[in-house]
Amino acid sequence: MPTLDLINLRKQFGSVTNPVVAVNDLNINVADGEFLCILGPSGCGKSTALRMVAGFEEPSGGDVQIDQQSIINMPPNKRPTAMVFQKYTLWPHMKVYDNIAFGLKLRHLPKNQIDQEVQASLELVGLGRYGDRYPAQLSGGEQQRVAIARALVLKPKILLLDEPFSNLDALLRVRLREELRQIQRNLKITAVFVTHDQEEALSLADRIAVMSKGELQQLDKPATIYARPKTLFVADFIGAMNMLDGEVNGGVVKVGNQRLPSPAECVAAPAKIAIRPEDVIVTQTGEGAWHGRITQVSDLGHYRKVFVQSPDLGMLKLYLPKSIEINDGEMITFKPTRFLIFQGPLPPFEVKL
Amino acid sequence: MATRSRYLNTLFAGYALIAPPLIILVLLIFYPAGQAIVRTVMTDQEVGIAAGLTLDRYFNFFADPIARSNLWFTIWVTVVTTALLFLVCFPLSLYLRFSSSRIAGIVQVLALFPLFVPGVILAFALIRYLGPRGTVDTFLRIVFNYTGFVTPYLKPSGIIFALVWDHIPFTVLVLTAGLRQVEDSVIEAARDVGASGLRVFFQIVLPLIQRPLLIVFCLNMIGIFGSFTIPYLLGPAAPQMMGVYMQQTFTDYLDRSGAETQAVLSFLICSVIGALYVRTVTRRRGERA
Repeated sequence: MPTLDLINLRKQFGSVTNPVVAVNDLNINVADGEFLCILGPSGCGKSTALRMVAGFEEPSGGDVQIDQQSIINMPPNKRPTAMVFQKYTLWPHMKVYDNIAFGLKLRHLPKNQIDQEVQASLELVGLGRYGDRYPAQLSGGEQQRVAIARALVLKPKILLLDEPFSNLDALLRVRLREELRQIQRNLKITAVFVTHDQEEALSLADRIAVMSKGELQQLDKPATIYARPKTLFVADFIGAMNMLDGEVNGGVVKVGNQRLPSPAECVAAPAKIAIRPEDVIVTQTGEGAWHGRITQVSDLGHYRKVFVQSPDLGMLKLYLPKSIEINDGEMITFKPTRFLIFQGPLPPFEVKL
Repeated sequence: MATRSRYLNTLFAGYALIAPPLIILVLLIFYPAGQAIVRTVMTDQEVGIAAGLTLDRYFNFFADPIARSNLWFTIWVTVVTTALLFLVCFPLSLYLRFSSSRIAGIVQVLALFPLFVPGVILAFALIRYLGPRGTVDTFLRIVFNYTGFVTPYLKPSGIIFALVWDHIPFTVLVLTAGLRQVEDSVIEAARDVGASGLRVFFQIVLPLIQRPLLIVFCLNMIGIFGSFTIPYLLGPAAPQMMGVYMQQTFTDYLDRSGAETQAVLSFLICSVIGALYVRTVTRRRGERA
């Protein structure tokens, strides 16, 4: 039952006097058969963390364990992991067949078994008849599929993927993402997928580890990450969010000229109020109604993205159903239905109206 | 009509641009070279007898034991020097490509330094350093009281030593550039599926730098085969490398057609390597991106 544990994993670059901490005391456990995404902006240390699992970076501290066994002293060629890289991953002087068979040949498997396994893995990624081609004769998407086949054919305990689709165009990215998810489900293989694309993470992962500046911000199911971000960074980074400055005082949080209820646990202090664009309803003018002028309406298929200039709150972004008739330049009144109150580094309080 | 005349104008401008170097190339290099080649296969002009075709000059060359030994010596020096160059430069280039330490910068400067030293200066420096009563000899005598130092000066090893030194920068430059074309992820992918360092080198890196490898091989072979200054100043009186032999035949023995024959033979040998070079450079990379 392959499980993966990163324990206080740490990586620092640079000199002793001027260290740059790329990964700081990272603790992540990946369950057997789980698909975990490490998500974060570029430079957050997510790729470094993955490369430490694969063995291409040496940790400055901490441990990496597969099935409770430390693999930290193994060179990359001895680790039971297989990696799919971002780009330039196939060996250009070998045919697709030889690219996939390379690792099997190193393991001295009999020729007919190699043939069978190469063919099976090519079929798994939908490229059954591509064995005789050179990488240069394949499209970018096909090349990455071969790279996935090459990793899977070795039956690794852990499959590692380092932004494998980021060089592909949007449509192909979505399709390959779905195919990868299907393959992973069928094989029940434990996988760690690094990406900066939150949509990719939200649609692929069983759980997402959000990283920022080398630190783990939150490790949760996609729905939880979206609904209950634990830190301001996660709230801002995942999905769209209206971030407003507020002040808590006696069961009320004051935002601009508006007052919203706040839980008793909130201390009287400045706070950040986070409202998802979809957590609003259009209302009549009256008590507790917010108003503003619509500056831009974009039709995004099944809903509308609306920018509203509020006199005291600045620019707000709202997602509204198409059933509501709205136009540029009109005034609109609305109310938040749900929001989060962030105070300091503590997890936020959720308020539903 | 307008487009046609514009097309012709562009065409004309293009040819006008390449005309001066092309004319110089043809008039000063190809034409005299062609003439020389033709002269080596023609009988001498005598009054009343028409000139005819003959291979006598080449038979004479190969009948002459000195000429033969000079040719073999040149080929031997070329092969040994090229082999030593790879032995020295390959580890150096691998180090420069894969090391991220600060020392790599210093090593690179040292490796490229000979590029800025003219061959004649190098030759005299080596005479002062490795020659009889030179720096090394004197040092061994004074410090270790050792008098058995055998100088490479005026020996084949002197030529080879200097030629290797002289060709290191070019070899390292081309090999390092070739190695830099091999992406890290290509190597890491091979490590990842279980290949050891040696296997990565032989099955991934080496095939991927085949082209720069062949280029550096061909250009080094041709350059070393035709070298003059270093063998002239550091080499033995006999056997001689072809460049020195030609010069001597031409100016000391005043044997113009003999020197021409030697030159054409040298050219033929180099053009075999040249053909390999041209094939390498122009080959379509069907299997490569």
